[in-house]
Amino acid sequence: MATVDEIAPGEHKVVPIGRWGVGVYNVDGRFYAIANYCPHEGGPLCSGRTHGVTVVDPEVPGGAAESRAGEFIYCPWHQWGFELATGTTAVKPEWSIRTYPVRVQGSDVIVTA
Amino acid sequence: MTIEMQRPKEVSQEMTEVRVVDSDIHPSPKRGELTPFLPAKFRSLFENRSTGAGSPVYYDAPDFAHSFAMRTDSFPSDGNFAGSDPDLMFRQVIMEAGCDLLILGPLNGGGQTEEEHHAVAQATNAWQDACWLDSEHNWHQRFRGSIVAAMEHPEAAAREIEHWAGHPMMSQVLIGAELRPAWGDPRYDPVWEAATRNGLPVACHLGRGQHNELPMSPVGFMTYNHDLMVSYSMLAANQVMSLVFDGVFDRFPDLQIVFIEHAFNWLLPLMWRMDAIHAKRGPENGLKRKPSDYVKDHIWCTTQPLDMPEDKLEFTRSLEWMEADKILLFSSDYPHWTFDDPQWVAKHLPAHMREKIMYQNALQVFKNLPETVPALPGQKRAL
Amino acid sequence: MDPEGRPVIDASVHVFFASDRDLRGYLNEPFKSRGYPDVDVAWFAPPDGVRYAPGTQTDVVIEQQAFGQPVQRVPGHPGSDPELVGRQLFEERGVDVAVLHPMSNAGILPDWHLGTAIFAGYNRMLVERWLDSGTYADRFRGTIRVNPNDIDGAVREINRYKDHPRVVQIGLPMQTQHPYGRPYFRPLWRAAVEAGLPVAVHIEMGVGITHPPTPSGITRTFSHLAAYQPMTFVWHLLNMIAEGVFEEFPELKIVWADGAADMLTPFIWRMDSFGRPHLEQTPWAPKIPSAYLADHVYFVHGALDGPGADAEFADDWLRMTGKEDSSMFGSSYPDWQMHSPDDLPRAWTPEQREKVLWRTAARLYGIDIPVPASA
Ligand code: FES
Repeated sequence: MATVDEIAPGEHKVVPIGRWGVGVYNVDGRFYAIANYCPHEGGPLCSGRTHGVTVVDPEVPGGAAESRAGEFIYCPWHQWGFELATGTTAVKPEWSIRTYPVRVQGSDVIVTA
Repeated sequence: MTIEMQRPKEVSQEMTEVRVVDSDIHPSPKRGELTPFLPAKFRSLFENRSTGAGSPVYYDAPDFAHSFAMRTDSFPSDGNFAGSDPDLMFRQVIMEAGCDLLILGPLNGGGQTEEEHHAVAQATNAWQDACWLDSEHNWHQRFRGSIVAAMEHPEAAAREIEHWAGHPMMSQVLIGAELRPAWGDPRYDPVWEAATRNGLPVACHLGRGQHNELPMSPVGFMTYNHDLMVSYSMLAANQVMSLVFDGVFDRFPDLQIVFIEHAFNWLLPLMWRMDAIHAKRGPENGLKRKPSDYVKDHIWCTTQPLDMPEDKLEFTRSLEWMEADKILLFSSDYPHWTFDDPQWVAKHLPAHMREKIMYQNALQVFKNLPETVPALPGQKRAL
Repeated sequence: MDPEGRPVIDASVHVFFASDRDLRGYLNEPFKSRGYPDVDVAWFAPPDGVRYAPGTQTDVVIEQQAFGQPVQRVPGHPGSDPELVGRQLFEERGVDVAVLHPMSNAGILPDWHLGTAIFAGYNRMLVERWLDSGTYADRFRGTIRVNPNDIDGAVREINRYKDHPRVVQIGLPMQTQHPYGRPYFRPLWRAAVEAGLPVAVHIEMGVGITHPPTPSGITRTFSHLAAYQPMTFVWHLLNMIAEGVFEEFPELKIVWADGAADMLTPFIWRMDSFGRPHLEQTPWAPKIPSAYLADHVYFVHGALDGPGADAEFADDWLRMTGKEDSSMFGSSYPDWQMHSPDDLPRAWTPEQREKVLWRTAARLYGIDIPVPASA
C-alpha cells in the first residue's frame, strides 16, 4: 500500500481502500491504519490532527500536561479523539473507529482490509 | 468525494424541490473585503484599531491554535478564513452535504458605540449584497442573506431593515444575543415593528453585547469553553421569558423570532415553568394567552447543536412532548467546528417531523424562499 | 404522612427571626447597631403584596420602634414561631420531619464581617429555638448558614455545629461573585465533607452584591424573576463539574434548594454532547459530565417544577437523568409558593412518590423514619 520511507514518523498517507479511504500513520516507527471516516457525523477523520491526550500533572504550571504525543487522531469536525492503535477512546470506549492490521515487510507497509 | 466546479457556471433549466434549508451558515469577508463598504468616517478608525492587534479569543474551542473553532477542512487554499470563499461553501454545504438553500448569517462583530455597531451592520449588508448575493457569486440562486441590524441603536436598525426589505435575496433580520436589557424592553419596539411590517423574521445569534466584554452569568464568569457554551442557552431562555412576560407578542402579533445556535431541549421544561408561574400568579402584564402558546406560535430554534442523551428514545420523546415540529428549523452552523451534517440530523428526527424541521417550517418562516430551485447535477440529496 | 399513609419529609421549610429587633437580640456590638437590609425588601416583591402563605403569620410580638416611637404590637414574621410552624406542618399538613433553612440576606452583604456575624446569630437562634427546645424539636432538622464571602469564617462555623445531632446540612447562597466550581471555594467543600454534611444552595433574600439575576440584566416582571432565578443552579453545577469539584471531593453532596431540576435534563444532555471534545481541556474532570450527578446532586422539588400535576408522561420525565433519585419534596413553607404532596404529578409511580416524599431525604440526611407497614 505504501513504502516505509513514504510515511515519515509523525506523518500519514490516505490510501484508496474502501468507500472513504484508509489513513496509514507512522507513530515513531510504529504503523497504524484507520478508516478515513468518523463514526460521529461522518467527518473526514484523516484530515484531522494527531496529538496526545491531556493528563493532570500537579507539578507543572497550569496543572496539565500532554501524554503519549502523536498517538491519537482528532476529527477535523468536532475534535473527537481516537487512539490510533486501538480505535477507541478513554471517555466512551464504545464509540470506536475502524482500525486495520498493518505489517511492515521489508520496505513495504501492508494494510489488511 | 470531490465535485469539480468549473467557472463560468450555468444554471440548469431543470428545477428541483427544496428539501433542506440551512438556517445557520456563516460567510466571512476575505482580508480587507469589508472595508470599502464601511462608512468613510469609520474606515481608518477600525483599521487603526486592528493594526498590531491579535486574536481576541478568551474561551477557546478544542485545539484552538490549530482549528480556530472551525471545521479544519473548511479553510480555503488562498489563505483567507473559513467561510470566505463562496465556491468552497457551495461545494461543501450544497453539493457534498446536500443543503438546498442557505440562510447566510454573517458575524462581522460590532463596535464600541451604537454608531459603530450600526456602521458594521450597514457595511455587512452591502457586502453580502455585492459579494454573496449578486448574480456572479449566487449564480446557483442557493444563497439568501440576513439584514444585520444593530439592536444597540434601534432607530437606525429599523431604518436599515426598511432599506433592505424587499431585496429578493434577503430573508431575515439578524441581531446579536448579549445585549442588555432583554428583548422585552420597549426600546427595541422599532426593530420588531420594522421587521413585522416587512414580513421578516428576526433571528438572534450568539454575539457580544456592551455590558460585559464576555458573557457573564448571574454568578460570575464560567471557567472553560465547555461550561460557557453549554450555559449560553440560559441567555436564550431568559430572552424567551422576557419576550413572553413583557408582552412583545401581544404588541407584535406577527413577530417571528428565530434563536440560532442556542440549543433547544431546554425549551420543553422552560414552557412548563412559564405556564406554572402564569397559573400561580396570573397575567402580570395583561398577557392574553398561556406562555407556551406564545412559544409555539412565535418562537423557532435552529437544530444545531443537536444535543442528545445516550438513550435516543429519551430525545425522541422529548421532541414529541415539546411538539418540536412547531419549533425547530434545521441548521448546520458551517463552517464552525460544531457543524451538523443534514443527513445526520434528519436521521435523528422522528419520521413524521422530519420534513417540517428540515425544510417545510423554513419555507413558512422565511417568506421569500422558493419551493423549487434550479437543479445541480451531482448534488447530494440529504433527504 | 400523605393521604395514602406514606411518610413525608419536608426538605424545605424556611425559618426567620420574628423581627429585626429579634435578630438584633442575637447580635453583639458593633454589629448590633449596624445598618443592614430587612429580609423582606420592596425591590421585586410580589406585585399583589402577598409574600407569604395566608395563616403563617405569628400572632403578635412587642416591638420597640426606632426614633422614640411608642412601643407597638406587630405580627411576627411567618416562619418565626416554632410552635406555630410545628403545629401547621406536623398536625395540619401531614409532615413527619421538616428540614429547616434559615432565610437571610447576610450571604450577599458587601461587608463580609457583618454577614458572618449575622449568620452566627441565625445559627444560634436555629439551634436554641428550633433544634434544642420546644414541642417539636425532635421533628426539626437544621441547616447551618455560612458566608461564602468569608471562607475561613464559614469553615469555623461549620466546625462549631457539625456534631449537633439535629444539624443535617450546610446552607449557602445561590447568588455569588463566582461560580461554585472556582478553587476559592475548596475549603468549604472540604469542611462540609469532613463534617459529613450535604450543602444546600438557596436563593438569598433581597438584593446585595450580586450580579443581575439574568445574563441580560434585571427582569421587568416578578413572574419572570420568580420563574427564572431558581435556574441559576445550572451555571454553578456546570462549572463545578468542569472544575472537577466532584472528582476532588467524592463525598460532596449538593442540594439545589430552589428546585428547577427539570433543567438538569437538557443541560446535562448538552454538557455530555459537548464533553467529548472538551474533556481534553479539563483532565481534572475526566468522566462524561452526567457521571458526576448520582450521589452528588440533589434537588428540592418545588411548586414550579415538573410538567404539571396532570401530565401523563410525568413518570417518564422524572426517570430521565435520574431525577427520580435526586428530587426531594419541599414545601417552601411559609413562602407564597408553598405547595403540598397533593400538588405532585399523578402519573408518578408509587415508588417515585415514595422516593420524592421521603426516601431520598431520609437517606441523604440520615433521618430515621418509622415506615408504616402498608408502605
Ligand atoms: S464527525 Fe468526527 S467528531 Fe463529529
